[in-house]
Amino acid sequence: MPAIQLLPDLLISQIAAGEVIERPASALKELMENSLDAGATEIAVQLEGGGVRLLRVRDNGGGIAPDELPLALKRHATSKIATLDDLRRVPSMGFRGEALASMAAVAQVTLTSRNPEATHAWQIQAADGMQSDAAPAAHALGTSVEMRELYFNTPARRKFLRSEATEFAYCEEAFKRIALSRPEVAFSLQHNNRVVWQLPVSPLPPGEGSGVGERLLQQRIAALLGDEFARGAAIVDRRAGGLHLYGMASLPACSRVSRDAQYFFVNSRFVRDKVVAHAIRQAYQDILHGQRHPAFALFLDMPPEQVDVNVHPAKSEVRFRESQAIHRFVFHTLQQALGAPAAPAENISETPRQTAPFVQQQYAMPLHAAAEPLALYDALFGNRDSGTSGQESESEKSLSAACRLSDDTGIPPLGFALAQLAGIYILAQNRQGLVVVDMHAAHERIVYEKLKAALDGQHIPAQPLLIPASFSADALDIATAEEEQAALAQLGFDIAPISPAALAVRAMPAPLKQAHAEAAARDVLRELREFGATRALTERRNELLATLACHAAVRANQSLTLPEMNGILREMERTARSGQCNHGRPTWFQISIAELDAMFLRGR
Amino acid sequence: MFIEKIEKEVLLKPLQTVIGIVERKQPLPILSNVLIEKTGHLLHFVATDLEIQIATQINDTNQAEPTDESLTVAAKKLHEILRVLPEGSKVALEIQENRLHVKAGKSKFNLQTLPARDFPKILEHFEQSEKIQLKQAQLKKLIGLVQYAMAQQDIRYYLNGVLLVVEGANLKLVATDGHRLAFTSAKLDKEYPKTEVILPRKTIVELVKLLEENDEEISVEFAENRVRINFSGITITSKVIDGKFPDYDRVIPSYTNHLALDRLVILQALQRAAILSNEKFRGVRLILTEKNLRVSSSNSEQEEAQEDIETDYHGVALDIGFNVNYLLDGLNNTAADTVVFSFGDPNSSILITVPGNDEFKYVVMPMRI
Repeated sequence: MPAIQLLPDLLISQIAAGEVIERPASALKELMENSLDAGATEIAVQLEGGGVRLLRVRDNGGGIAPDELPLALKRHATSKIATLDDLRRVPSMGFRGEALASMAAVAQVTLTSRNPEATHAWQIQAADGMQSDAAPAAHALGTSVEMRELYFNTPARRKFLRSEATEFAYCEEAFKRIALSRPEVAFSLQHNNRVVWQLPVSPLPPGEGSGVGERLLQQRIAALLGDEFARGAAIVDRRAGGLHLYGMASLPACSRVSRDAQYFFVNSRFVRDKVVAHAIRQAYQDILHGQRHPAFALFLDMPPEQVDVNVHPAKSEVRFRESQAIHRFVFHTLQQALGAPAAPAENISETPRQTAPFVQQQYAMPLHAAAEPLALYDALFGNRDSGTSGQESESEKSLSAACRLSDDTGIPPLGFALAQLAGIYILAQNRQGLVVVDMHAAHERIVYEKLKAALDGQHIPAQPLLIPASFSADALDIATAEEEQAALAQLGFDIAPISPAALAVRAMPAPLKQAHAEAAARDVLRELREFGATRALTERRNELLATLACHAAVRANQSLTLPEMNGILREMERTARSGQCNHGRPTWFQISIAELDAMFLRGR
Repeated sequence: MFIEKIEKEVLLKPLQTVIGIVERKQPLPILSNVLIEKTGHLLHFVATDLEIQIATQINDTNQAEPTDESLTVAAKKLHEILRVLPEGSKVALEIQENRLHVKAGKSKFNLQTLPARDFPKILEHFEQSEKIQLKQAQLKKLIGLVQYAMAQQDIRYYLNGVLLVVEGANLKLVATDGHRLAFTSAKLDKEYPKTEVILPRKTIVELVKLLEENDEEISVEFAENRVRINFSGITITSKVIDGKFPDYDRVIPSYTNHLALDRLVILQALQRAAILSNEKFRGVRLILTEKNLRVSSSNSEQEEAQEDIETDYHGVALDIGFNVNYLLDGLNNTAADTVVFSFGDPNSSILITVPGNDEFKYVVMPMRI
């Protein structure tokens, strides 16, 4: 039996390094975050051999005072917090004081820095727990950290590193996350002396005080995720209470097959959080087709004391004080942003209106086209005007932004129907050119949204069950059922424990009385526990409504008159999420005159 | 013999009447033909573009033994031949083996024909219809007051024509292209049930060409989706635009700021200013101050024109821009000596009226210059 002894310092650091410095990418993340915390506006990253051979981060931040240099590489040494109280509202990215020390334990680290007070830069080197004395060096204002030969002294770990390409891919991903989170900072990334990313902060035209931040962010997102993403994405921006969610989320038509390009930042920190992930998935629930995944870059700003970032050494997980509120906020914000009704983006192909300094512009006459006759709709739903007015006005409000440009001229965004093609598609003409609408898909969505709106406002009546459905449940489920009685009652459920290991469903929400009581109850309890909120019921109800809508919608080969087709187009403009059918397929396409001209080689 | 002997002028006139709607570049060959039907002494001439059909007839009294025959022949060619024949020529037409032989003095022409039964005549029979009657000259004047404001090939298909409204004893005509709107109304001889149709642009253009300045009666009949207009032995049958015209009443403003102007003075000032207005946007500025109206324009070469007109204006000062063509259109098409401009603010429309006549209203939206 070996005797108990204190471990040598180097070994402690090496063990700790296993958690903090998993691979070059984690070192890169730590170093870039340090640079940001130092107030840098330009960060250059150089990698060699996937970051294993060399990883250098150079910034123009505040620098480190010469006498603090040796301390910087020590474990649990930091300038970022001083007391436990600071920890509750950490404004900086890092605070644990582990990163540099861990790196110094498993790699050869050179730290060069010059702060504004120093006349020249100083440099120290560390390897294998040994630290050199500070020596004068040449460096501009700011700090460079160079890490060579990661894991040179822990061969066991080095074996776990993947190929150069893989390690580089991880580094690039870490780089992208940080670059996304700080659009006001210029970044560059080189690998094996080849420039991979060059992300300058492009100067914006002066005099545009407000909205500069958003413009920078949108430029950065477009640069990193591609123009295609930026064009096919909805802009999200909503504040409520202390929360602010902004960024871009892909419209369903521009979704992806894989889960890449999903970025969520809490207070500029990239996180993976299952509450947030669930909320986002819910927001895309009935507009995303099958196995496709949304792409997004979303930023949630909130008071630091409401979120605990000290959950994981790499801080990629967070814990929200009020996860239920966050879930609801993210879900509603995103759903609203994605739900804006269909309207072609007016400005995409058009050149900006005020290019020339001296442009005369004709005002259009405010012609109000009277409503088209909608025999079909009246037959299906009775008189439209007496319908649900509350919902209508809200969706009309969100439409107004898209519509304002065309409002004056009386040309609706989706134009006027020309003809029906093969009994399936509506062809329409609008200002940009040709609009092709899948009439069944479009109408299905219209009916579905109407059914949803009609039911959403209502209180859900509970339907007591003649014979309570009992099922065996584990302690967690029972505890949830007891804690969340109020929430369950609101949903129309009455679930009570009947023994230490069994629950009974005594009442079900009336719209779901046909559903399987046990399965529904389990779903609801699981979601309440994990996400603090449940939409499992709404989802189930929506599935029923979707089926109803599918049967109520016009079918293929039903011949429609022009007024009826125009009626569908006008309804689409009014309906939220009308760009996708209930199954996430797109409902319409725009083919611009320019695209048609190109097909016919006109104007070449 | 199809036609034994007829003076060329007699034959030319009905051809001229119907030829206006025959398109020279015609994908359907038969549509470039005119249908000539002979029933006894009557010769019917019909041309169509499938949207509009114009029919007229003449009496051919020279027939010895009248027969019933019909044919279709290239309208423009026959018209051209007749037009250039010497004055007073006597023309004979004969059908031989599906060809039309035209003889006049020493000239001979041989034209190909297409069977008359293939000619797509629009059904002239109206099941149920409302019919209004007025004087030709009156309708011509009314259409002249609004037709220039029609839209052309607009996506808003319902603007590509003139709205005709019959309401009680009133006939109203409205046309707009989204930038300006012309409205006029007239009294009818009696009350009629309410009717609204949009006559297509081409129908209006043809109608104006064919209407004469006389007091002959003209009747306009409305059926489900067609109109039939009868005058001077001519029948125009036209489809109407199936759409809803915008609510024009909401666009016609009522301002309190009026400026009376001699029509010719302002018209000529605008014509001169137009010369140096921007070639593309055609903007002119009207600068209204106490007792003065200044009309100014400048083009992309920075050339400038300025006109000052003395007025008796006492209202608020105003600086407002317009497309000069829109103003000229309105002024050119009214016959009044004096016109009244009524202004709102620089971003609102202007209303042009004729004093003592509330039957004409012309609204023009401004330009930002």
